[in-house]
Amino acid sequence: MSPTSLDRPASAAVDAMLVQREVEAFLYRESELLDEWRLEEWLDLFTEDCRYDVPAPDRPRGTAGQTFSLIHDGRTMLEQRVIRLKKPTAHAEFPHSRTRRMITNVRVEESEGGGLDVKANFAIHRYRNWTHVLFVGEYLYRLVRAEGGLKISYRRATLDLEVLNPEGKVSIII
Amino acid sequence: MSQFVEEDRAATTFRVNREVFTSPEILELERQLIFDKTWIFVGHASEILVPNSFLLRRVAGRPVIFVRDSSGQLQVLLNACRHRGAEVCRVPSGEAKTFTCFYHGWAYRNNGDLVHLPDAGAYGPGFDRSRMGLDKPPHVAEYRGFVFANFDPDAGRLEDYLADSRYLLDLIADQSETGMRVVPGVHSYWMNANWKLLMENSVDGYHAVTVHQTYFEMMMNLGVRPGLARPQDPNAPKTRGAGIDLRHGHATTMSWPGRAGALALLTDDHAKQMYAARQADLARRFDPRQVEKIVNTARNTLYFPNFVTVDLTFGIQLRTMWPTAPDTTEITGWLITDPELDDELQEARLDNALTFWGPGGLATPDDVEALEQCQRGFAVRRESPWSNLSKGLGRDVPDMSDELPQRAFWREWNRRICGEKLPYEGTPYPEVAALPVYASASAS
Repeated sequence: MSPTSLDRPASAAVDAMLVQREVEAFLYRESELLDEWRLEEWLDLFTEDCRYDVPAPDRPRGTAGQTFSLIHDGRTMLEQRVIRLKKPTAHAEFPHSRTRRMITNVRVEESEGGGLDVKANFAIHRYRNWTHVLFVGEYLYRLVRAEGGLKISYRRATLDLEVLNPEGKVSIII
Repeated sequence: MSQFVEEDRAATTFRVNREVFTSPEILELERQLIFDKTWIFVGHASEILVPNSFLLRRVAGRPVIFVRDSSGQLQVLLNACRHRGAEVCRVPSGEAKTFTCFYHGWAYRNNGDLVHLPDAGAYGPGFDRSRMGLDKPPHVAEYRGFVFANFDPDAGRLEDYLADSRYLLDLIADQSETGMRVVPGVHSYWMNANWKLLMENSVDGYHAVTVHQTYFEMMMNLGVRPGLARPQDPNAPKTRGAGIDLRHGHATTMSWPGRAGALALLTDDHAKQMYAARQADLARRFDPRQVEKIVNTARNTLYFPNFVTVDLTFGIQLRTMWPTAPDTTEITGWLITDPELDDELQEARLDNALTFWGPGGLATPDDVEALEQCQRGFAVRRESPWSNLSKGLGRDVPDMSDELPQRAFWREWNRRICGEKLPYEGTPYPEVAALPVYASASAS
């Protein structure tokens, strides 16, 4: 049978669905690693030239590196953050917080150079010291294709909170 | 002797009753006798550089508009409509020539004057519009860019109140010839602990090794040695620095020259480059001893009651705290920097600063954790009523890690809450500043 005019768009739509599914599975996997405190495995999801940003709550669009943001880690500091968090002397996270991440509204766009620009909404419930904290906000990822699957080259967690309360330790990975 | 603060110099003992961290009655007394009577930090002039720029802030619990009016004058306006009390400005920052209350439409100029009210003709001859502007704190004053307000109509002068702490503000302000600038971005976060615990912690040189062990390990992992700015003088004193009572409840813990880089992540090249750039500029403007203090010491300073500056080689943090309850504190942190530093250094310092400080830093969360654990421990205050702050009491020049700054804070707190005046401690700033240790040649 000769190809019909519908084939091309249909296959593009299927491709998009597959990519959407792949990205969602990737984000769910990442959440699982974080909730289970498997931080070394989580670190393996990042490229060598990666960056992890959390803007200051009053400057959600602030340029990282030029504003007093909450977190502005390159690969080196991200590794150190993970090393630190696994020690019992990382007092703010010993004993570890219990966390449960809800990742939704995943939006994927192909970006130049074969990467993917991903936005997603998050709600992270964190329980520690009989206190419940809810971190709500939006992720922005730049994912790239590498051997073994997708890797994170950029990850920004922008909080919707105006003030970090009822308590202000962003000592877990958000 | 007061019920809450006990000092016995003969027995070198200083202790504070834990009731002061848990009692709602004490908090109410603090609001009346401290926050309503002292100079409270509002903000830095550089935050509102352009005429008509404003930002909202809470000062001693009051919502205020910190604004540079159309004529360029700094104003602190109470953010409540004179008509029925609604907040007239509801945007956290921006530029505005007028603020209009949306409830009934009363409009105020950005110097506070009432300029418009709907149906004005309905008000009788006794209604004097010129007296219906937004209220202001009875006193607002600026010291070298740092703006403070005082809600006590009988307050004295800000400079007198600051006493020797103004020298520490000088050491910040003097870093820039064109004026220090606050970096955009505010760290605004809560902790579940009494506000005074963070005042104590902000000048605590004793906790660093234990609480921040993982930070020092991180530094070592990265191959960063402490004290990068300069090799240590072999004739330097055995102590790391001095705890100094700045009078009126203010105090600092200040390193000797060359002992400032303990927490800096800057590479050798960066540190040398920065030191050289700043040193050369400062040497044009100040004598060598002052240059040493400005560029080559670290200092954590508290300004009674609730303002802190932490001036380290990699950045300067400003911090205030406000008790929303005995066991809950709203904390605000800013960075202030010297705009003349080049972009690369600026970014290196900023990175270092937020790696250490703030809710997402590798250090601050552990401080907050310690203070929250103290607050939980205070549940035993009937059986175990006293916190001990005796370290270094009786030394002529207490060390950086002694508890002099905390004691200075508590003596002033005690004077204002309990009416008991205890003598000052240690060596005053002008005498410490004259010690030979600051004479070591900057050029080396």
